[in-house]
Amino acid sequence: MEFFLQQLVNGITLGGVYALVALGYTMVYGIIQLINFAHGEIYAAGGYMGVILISWLFAQGFPPFVCLGAALVLAMGYCALLAMAVEKLAYQPLRQSSRLSVLLSALGMSIFLQNGLMLTQGVYDRAYPTEMVQGGFELGTVMISYMQCIIVGVTALLLVALNVLVYKTRIGKAMRATAQDKTMSALVGINSSRIISLTFAIGAGLAAAAGIMVGLYYGSVRYDMGFVPGIKAFSAAVLGGIGNITGAMLGGLLIGMIEVFAAGYISSEYKDVFAFIILIAVLYFMPTGIMGENVDDTRV
Amino acid sequence: MKRALYLLSVLLLASFVVAGCGKKDEKAADAAKAGIKIGSLGPLTGQYAADGNDIKNGVLAAIEVMNPEMGALGPVTLQAEDDACDPRQAVAAANKLINEKATAVIGAYCSSATIPASEPLIAAKIFMITPASTNEKVTERGMPYMFRTCGRDDDQSKAAVKFMTDQLKAKNVYIVDDKTTYSQGLADNVEKLAGGAGLKVLGHEHVNQGDKDYSAVLTKVKAAKPDVFYVSLQNSASAAPMLIQIARMGIKTHILAQDAVYHPQLMELAKKDAEGVFLTFGYTDKETPSYKKFAAAYKKYGEPGAYSAYSYDSTVAYLKAVKAAGSTDPEKVKAELMKLEFDGASKHIKYKENGDSGSNYVIQVVKDGKFTNYWNPETGELFK
Repeated sequence: MEFFLQQLVNGITLGGVYALVALGYTMVYGIIQLINFAHGEIYAAGGYMGVILISWLFAQGFPPFVCLGAALVLAMGYCALLAMAVEKLAYQPLRQSSRLSVLLSALGMSIFLQNGLMLTQGVYDRAYPTEMVQGGFELGTVMISYMQCIIVGVTALLLVALNVLVYKTRIGKAMRATAQDKTMSALVGINSSRIISLTFAIGAGLAAAAGIMVGLYYGSVRYDMGFVPGIKAFSAAVLGGIGNITGAMLGGLLIGMIEVFAAGYISSEYKDVFAFIILIAVLYFMPTGIMGENVDDTRV
Repeated sequence: MKRALYLLSVLLLASFVVAGCGKKDEKAADAAKAGIKIGSLGPLTGQYAADGNDIKNGVLAAIEVMNPEMGALGPVTLQAEDDACDPRQAVAAANKLINEKATAVIGAYCSSATIPASEPLIAAKIFMITPASTNEKVTERGMPYMFRTCGRDDDQSKAAVKFMTDQLKAKNVYIVDDKTTYSQGLADNVEKLAGGAGLKVLGHEHVNQGDKDYSAVLTKVKAAKPDVFYVSLQNSASAAPMLIQIARMGIKTHILAQDAVYHPQLMELAKKDAEGVFLTFGYTDKETPSYKKFAAAYKKYGEPGAYSAYSYDSTVAYLKAVKAAGSTDPEKVKAELMKLEFDGASKHIKYKENGDSGSNYVIQVVKDGKFTNYWNPETGELFK
């Protein structure tokens, strides 16, 4: 039981991160049916922006929460701009061409950004000042670190904020309308180009937050850190039903849990295999994912 | 407005390349000259980049020291190839070095890259001297031009088990490896030897290469409460998150790691969580004149990593043999290399019939952010 609870805590932490990244895939897919392969690299760029900002702020003697908060906001902003730039240069000119061209453009962007990170930031691991947040507490026999609390807290906050944005605001309404029908929404006066740009920005902001928290949690970032979590988060989006926001959150949590429990109860060497087996099994019986991809209300 | 947006977009993306363009290509300057071409093989990108660059820099430092001595045979140039620690890429890089007419290759880092890369190299009569691959099989395949300057894992595992039983007085051990030829080979050796030494193996888990999340394995370790936790990972960048998570989960036990974890990067990444970690590593006396000579030549590349000195020695050994032979003819150089005996930066170097140069593993500990000699398995005593 103790083991189960400990793994549950670990699984929620990991799943929350996957969920944040998965949202970016799912929102972009929902709105322009593009699998944005460069998303993992945006997440890595967020991790790097975080290490640069946090190390600097922490060295200036700011308290940990100020460092973390400021780094989160600034890195999210930077990545949002970066994603908008990527969209403007690599995807927008191809809006009218076949979906395959945009997909290839996305792959190219991913390679460009990853190599760019390598050139500018070097091939070595960069250390986060992990001494910033240390320790934890024991709940019964389950060890919960403060870092895990922060990850879960920030993730929950961002997920709630996203839900409010999408379902309670005019912008959210415009996003949902554009996702349903671009032509029709343009006819009623929605600037679909701007909405698409905004969708990229929001997804990138969430990924940047995930990148920072992963960096802090594991203590380091590397230029190629976006690849594997990118694939897992993409799987999470597909598992939940790609294009579906609630689905991406659920899918992320599920993939995180499956990974941790498979590692705990079966074997750590096959944890990725199990995550993908479940994915294949779900898709076999529910081709549109757990939540289904065509729930128009929840699709962005 | 629209143009301004485009401009901004271009600028943002440009931020990804601008800083990179400033670095000049070191290779371009050295190319096109005759003389002796040495290849280096190791992961220059990816998760093991730090170790691969150590090897490359070690060769560079040695070339710089040896070049004035080479006379008409020189100049010596380096062609550094990236194997990304991947068996396929290692073979491709080896073939490239064959085409580029390298006469010796220093590398590789991962045993799983060294073994496949050695096949085409040795067939082309090119020397392969590994400064870092400790797996036994590297020199046990009867390859005439395969040499090894570092120690062997069968010796390393003996030192590790001896330390656990004799010094730590451990009754049981929990083992984790990350499934590479090197790390799993070593972990399997330790598991085998532990049985004979009366050390109970509570569990032997495998994680994936490059994993950063070890929470599942560590939860098991915490529950098992071992006297020693034996961590066999491919390098320091994988070990650092492991140490951070061990501390975070409040696991209190002796941690014993191995040579691949030896790198200043470990303390940089894991900081105080690296304190008190034991590791097996070849003994190097840093007070000898040859080590000081190496350290001076290496200075511009930063702090020496685990295999910088071994890589330096491998290169020096080859060049000394070439100088004695008066040519790069493989047969003649091999004859000279077998006769060669000198005090290297890392240790006293004398190659044996199979290409090995002997092991001298000791136990080191991370103390005040530095690797410090701790225990000598030969004498069973602590270092002063």
